Amino acid sequence: MENVKSTFKEVASAILPVTIVVILLQVLIIRLPLEALLQFLIGVIFVGTGFFLFLLGVNAGLLPIGELIGKKLPLTRKPWLIIGTGLVLGLAVTIAEPDVRVLANQIDEVSGGGISRNILILSVSIGLAIFVALAMVRTLFSIPIHYMLIGGYSVVFLLSFFVPEAFIPISFDAGGVTTGPMAVPFILALGIGVASVLRSDKPSSGEGFGLIGLASIGPIIAVMLLGVLYR
Amino acid sequence: MNLHIFQGFGEVLIEVTMALLPLVVFFSVFQLFMLKLPKERVLQTGLGFVLTFFGLAFFLQGVHIGFMPFGELMGAELGDWQYRWAIIPIGFVLGFVATFAEPAVRIMNEEVDRETGGYISSQVMLYTLSTGVGLSIALSMLRILTGWSIWYFILPGYLIALILIFFSTRTFIAIAFDSGGVATGPMTVTFIVSVAVGIASVTEGRDPLVDGFGMIALVALTPIIAVLVVGLLFNRKAGNQNHESES
Repeated sequence: MENVKSTFKEVASAILPVTIVVILLQVLIIRLPLEALLQFLIGVIFVGTGFFLFLLGVNAGLLPIGELIGKKLPLTRKPWLIIGTGLVLGLAVTIAEPDVRVLANQIDEVSGGGISRNILILSVSIGLAIFVALAMVRTLFSIPIHYMLIGGYSVVFLLSFFVPEAFIPISFDAGGVTTGPMAVPFILALGIGVASVLRSDKPSSGEGFGLIGLASIGPIIAVMLLGVLYR
Repeated sequence: MNLHIFQGFGEVLIEVTMALLPLVVFFSVFQLFMLKLPKERVLQTGLGFVLTFFGLAFFLQGVHIGFMPFGELMGAELGDWQYRWAIIPIGFVLGFVATFAEPAVRIMNEEVDRETGGYISSQVMLYTLSTGVGLSIALSMLRILTGWSIWYFILPGYLIALILIFFSTRTFIAIAFDSGGVATGPMTVTFIVSVAVGIASVTEGRDPLVDGFGMIALVALTPIIAVLVVGLLFNRKAGNQNHESES
């Protein structure tokens, strides 16, 4: 029960600030009809309820399971299994991400139908999957993260000279969009789990992070490559 | 009065099912072949998945019926206001508080707090990310007012981030770049983008579609810089103590 109580407090502190700011703007500046404000407040109730259930659920399911799988994987001593897991997970999670579909529609529009939704979703997923797998390789072989970040973003900058301008904002958008609220806790926990086994000599130094950051590079490169091919 | 409550909820449920399904399958395969957890743990995990499912569904529904339409109306009003420059500070404040309500940000902050043993507390993370997102929204508003190309923001931004890497520790680098992906969630992106679309729709010479582009890119960028900068402050404070291995 203590858990439920503290989660409730946390939700209140999360939702109230944005609600208060919006109400202040409404009262001081915008003065929209009451009906619109009421509709907003209904939304606040939904968001609050959802936030509460989500936090409870993630703490009971996705986080411990992600970490557990992350801890078990290195014990198999099969690098291909760890890398393969990263690849499959990256693919599955991206294809399922709702925001990726929204992005796919936007790109359909910008390219005048030249890049179909399915091709985009597939290439973004493959881009993300490859980088999740690379991030696993990095953890396995203790490659410093900045080598990979600098390498990845150098490729991004090089490509940007060859990409039609309309594609540049969308490619960077793709990097942010692919990691949704469902995938983040799981991938985060997985990375922490894997690192906790491999780096047991250096406890709690935050080595498990970086998976999401590296994963974001994949979709940027994927969309840019599409842009180059499309031109 | 004509209030929408469950309008479009079916689509949201399908979306959330699609997002959760691969993770359930993933867990099931591992459970069968590797984890072999006892029944109680499986039940507990199952319950966790169910709560997560309904939690995200209600959250997204609330964003769709409440935050999104209100954001768009609000944007249209703000864009017509006589003090148009005021959308820059207002944008900062909106971005700052919207980050508080981002589920993935909460989870990330708690994990950082736990993994670093409180060295980087969840409060520090929250204010850092909020400031980062706030700045990105302020910059986006500036872009809507001036019509400057997204290039002028993205390119220097990532260059700054890459340069800061050389002065940072591994821990902060990893957390910083993770933060970029984490900050772009349904609240920040859907709500704030709809405010921006509202403003762009009443601003002459702005195409809401085009101005919407690149906004997420900025939201993904500024938290990286914010965390790296805080990392520099931490390191300076710690002096030459070797709390962690230097990169």
